[in-house]
Amino acid sequence: MTLASSPVSGKPAATSHWHRRMVSGPGRLFEPLLILAGLLAILFALVYPMVFILVGSFKAQGGLLASATAFTWANYITLFSGGFGRFLVNSLVICVAATALSTLVSVNAAYVFSRFRFRGKGLIFGSVLFGQMFPWIVLVNPLFILLTQAGFTNSYTGMIFCYTAISIPFSVYMLTGYLATVPRELDEAALIDGASRYQVVWRIVFPVLMPGIVSTATYAFMLCWTEYLFALAFLTKPAVQTLPIGLYQLFGDDRADWGAVMAASVITTIPTLLLFLPLQARLSAGLTAGAVK
Amino acid sequence: MRGDRLFITVMLGPALIILALFYLWPMVENLRVSFTDLTLLRLRVGGQWIGLANYEEFLTSPETGRLMMNTFIWLTAISVAVRLLLGLAIALIVNTPLVRHLKLATIARIAILVPWATPPVVAIIIWRWLLEAPDGALNTVLVTLGIIDTPIAFLSDLRTVWPSVIAIVVWNTVPLIALSLLASLQAVPADLYEAAELDGASRSAKFWHITLPFLKPTMVVLGLTSVFWTFNNFVYVWLATGAGPGTFTNVLATEIYIRSFVDFRLGYGAAIGIVMALIMAVFGYFYFRMIGRRQIEEVL
Repeated sequence: MTLASSPVSGKPAATSHWHRRMVSGPGRLFEPLLILAGLLAILFALVYPMVFILVGSFKAQGGLLASATAFTWANYITLFSGGFGRFLVNSLVICVAATALSTLVSVNAAYVFSRFRFRGKGLIFGSVLFGQMFPWIVLVNPLFILLTQAGFTNSYTGMIFCYTAISIPFSVYMLTGYLATVPRELDEAALIDGASRYQVVWRIVFPVLMPGIVSTATYAFMLCWTEYLFALAFLTKPAVQTLPIGLYQLFGDDRADWGAVMAASVITTIPTLLLFLPLQARLSAGLTAGAVK
Repeated sequence: MRGDRLFITVMLGPALIILALFYLWPMVENLRVSFTDLTLLRLRVGGQWIGLANYEEFLTSPETGRLMMNTFIWLTAISVAVRLLLGLAIALIVNTPLVRHLKLATIARIAILVPWATPPVVAIIIWRWLLEAPDGALNTVLVTLGIIDTPIAFLSDLRTVWPSVIAIVVWNTVPLIALSLLASLQAVPADLYEAAELDGASRSAKFWHITLPFLKPTMVVLGLTSVFWTFNNFVYVWLATGAGPGTFTNVLATEIYIRSFVDFRLGYGAAIGIVMALIMAVFGYFYFRMIGRRQIEEVL
């Protein structure tokens, strides 16, 4: 869990190292230039495509060849007057509900895993984790049959439960990891004071665990927000389809309106980018938690 | 204690019920369907029991060899290897004293984040435009610089289609690797390097004997996680090439989708799904033996 805890720990030695190199003369100048060129190339390759889309979305017709440079909201207006807002609403409803449900269920399960001993615990926990490496494509076929028979294709409810199910394995894993950092004495003190087990979880542990819950929920939300396969198979009516499906349909037309595609791409990406930015250090640490100590 | 047992059941129950309903039950159902000739059009009537015929057909099909080759080598092995190497290179560059001295590391971290936050569908759309012939960005640059004479249709040319798909996967997924390795790099104790310097160790010696061993556990976890994540992935190949040109880039995941929802042969698709799940089970066995158990013990 401490993977990203000390971003400056190597600094003193490294800085003196750098100073020594600085004073060792102009013959060494080649290397810094090489490093900077490499860095620049990396940053360009990573960021340029998205910047291109962002800028293009504000130009008439996408402005691919930079002929039209004037700033315009036209693409966004076209997009939303064409009913794209529907996809955005669908994605929001399904993903927020699935994230909430999966977090609620996972906090409970993780608490039990971290605080109790019981028979078969290792096996159950291992099985839950195995869900992470399960090929979802294998589930699509039978789930399609199940959802059809139960009348849950083209419904919010069906999708919410699907997304809850695919979020649970890593949510339980991450939350159990975070719970290990919450001292048990906290629970015990509250129990002695007469609180019930349920009160301990939701009144005492929950607030302390909040940072971990936020990271986990963010990741679960991301997973649902970008999911394509289940949405493709289970949502065939535009009225319930999610953003990735709506976006790709826009693109898949023979004569794609590039301006609209770019605007739609921006709308699809902004929420995840905004959610990810403040959390990135903790997320990259949480995902490889436990393995790196 | 009786109260504890009730509490455990109530708290664990919902998660286990959902997992059983959405993983275990579909898996059992998939196994059953894989022995039938069920089709999408006869979903309500049900399929006839045909024993192992679906498995036999799949395993003896002349296409299967290339399907496996595509899934194991191109989609999984090569793309994971490229990802790890590139992620390591990015982390090393961002972690150089020079970059930190110029206070560029924060900018770099945010930049690295951008592809990570980009949903795969968006990444694929962007890259399809970049790679498009004749007037995609890459072709325009290459032709202008005189590197190639005629534009290349990267996603439909047999020589370039796999490297192109891998480029898309890597662009979208390298950030997680780079950021994790960067965090590990910054956790290497500085006195290790100081001691090595006093002993007159060369830079490459320091890299091979200090940096790399220190990063190894993280790289193993990231590598294995990437393997099962990529092996199972459907969306990149499907949206970038539609398994084409022809069936040239078909992988197990897209084959299941095509058989089940394009050809409507749910039984045959289910059989391939079982094969795929078996492969993952074998992989999972080794994964848990290598690091999984340690991970579980440390978390629990």
